[in-house]
Amino acid sequence: MQQEKWVRKIRAGDQAAFRQFYEAYAGPAIRTASAITRNREMAKDAVQETFIRVYRQIGSYNPTLPFDPWFYRILTNECLRLLKRESPLSTIETQENDPSLVEESFDQLTELYDIIQALDDTHRIPLILKYIKGFSEKEIADILGMNQNTVKSRLFKGRKRLKEQLEATREEDMS
Amino acid sequence: MSKFDDRIKRELEQHTDVDVHELKDDIWNEINEELFEGSRTTMKRKKRWIPAILIAAAALVLAFTLQTDPGLALIKGIKDMFVPEKEIIQSIEGQDEPTEVHLNEGKDSEYIIYVDESRYKMIKGEDSDVITTIEPLPEKYPEVSMEIKQYPTDKPETLVKELEEKLKVDFPDLREVETVSEPVEGFWLHGLTESTWDGKVIDVYVISNGKDGSFVITENYFLEAAEGHGARFYHMLQSFEIIE
Repeated sequence: MQQEKWVRKIRAGDQAAFRQFYEAYAGPAIRTASAITRNREMAKDAVQETFIRVYRQIGSYNPTLPFDPWFYRILTNECLRLLKRESPLSTIETQENDPSLVEESFDQLTELYDIIQALDDTHRIPLILKYIKGFSEKEIADILGMNQNTVKSRLFKGRKRLKEQLEATREEDMS
Repeated sequence: MSKFDDRIKRELEQHTDVDVHELKDDIWNEINEELFEGSRTTMKRKKRWIPAILIAAAALVLAFTLQTDPGLALIKGIKDMFVPEKEIIQSIEGQDEPTEVHLNEGKDSEYIIYVDESRYKMIKGEDSDVITTIEPLPEKYPEVSMEIKQYPTDKPETLVKELEEKLKVDFPDLREVETVSEPVEGFWLHGLTESTWDGKVIDVYVISNGKDGSFVITENYFLEAAEGHGARFYHMLQSFEIIE
């Protein structure tokens, strides 16, 4: 498998292999970081730091486990760290169970992307990981350090809220 | 995938598309600068050069003064050049963790290694030294240890073949031997008994002792602890330096 070869070569310090790996992984990593941070500069910093860490710390990756969840755990943690630094209150933990904070922000939103981005981090980040990279519930649970059933329930609730909001918007347009 | 799923995916892709185009090359340039051409690389090299220079100086001094009392005092002095404790940043499960590590001398003062003494202790044995958890783990957990042993008359190339044959018995999925430059420069053998949480993992590094012999470093841990104990052993081993 190509990815295993890259990991082996990067471990041995092969710069060309690292460049190939970057070309393959940068696109989805940038999309994920942009969607999570909602900020281009922050996304840039998060992706940059993630690749640097991967290069330097590839030795701490266990080759018997899937690589992508390891990579995206670093990326997601880095995005959350930067978000936390920017706004200490907007972390995935602090917004949990506080939907009232986000209800208001749904007002006037018409585009699905904006509605996704108005979700609380608890539901928004699992959705981003699922739809940008196509991760399974188990992989998302590994990345976010959560129970698989929690992820399942958050994905379900997230999609439900998106649908409800889209329908509400449509009804407003019809009236 | 339902139409709704497709729509979410499409929306996310469309709205982040421009960032991919605009940022990809910029990010690579920064990474390239940082890792391969920039200041951090220089610092890393410098850091690794310091012990190398000290060791070279130590070798010269030893060559002239080994048999004398002042000579023996000098040996102690050389070891004193390594700071007794320092803080390192280690990445555990993708998160940076500042850790205080303490200088430990190996058997007969043949090497030094910095040990995270908040979690591990070094036990000096007759033939080898073992770094293991301060408190023994409960019985259900497989062994967690890092053994460092010197083979003064066996070259790494010979030892690695013998070890490979031996390890294949307990680790049928033993991977092919690799040459690595991190955490130490030498040969690396990696095996796993099974893919369950308590599957035994073994990492063996075989490196030259700088003469006609080798050091063999054997790490034992289990699959679930790969990014915990496994990563911590990796970071400790990065500080390993042969004194003679």
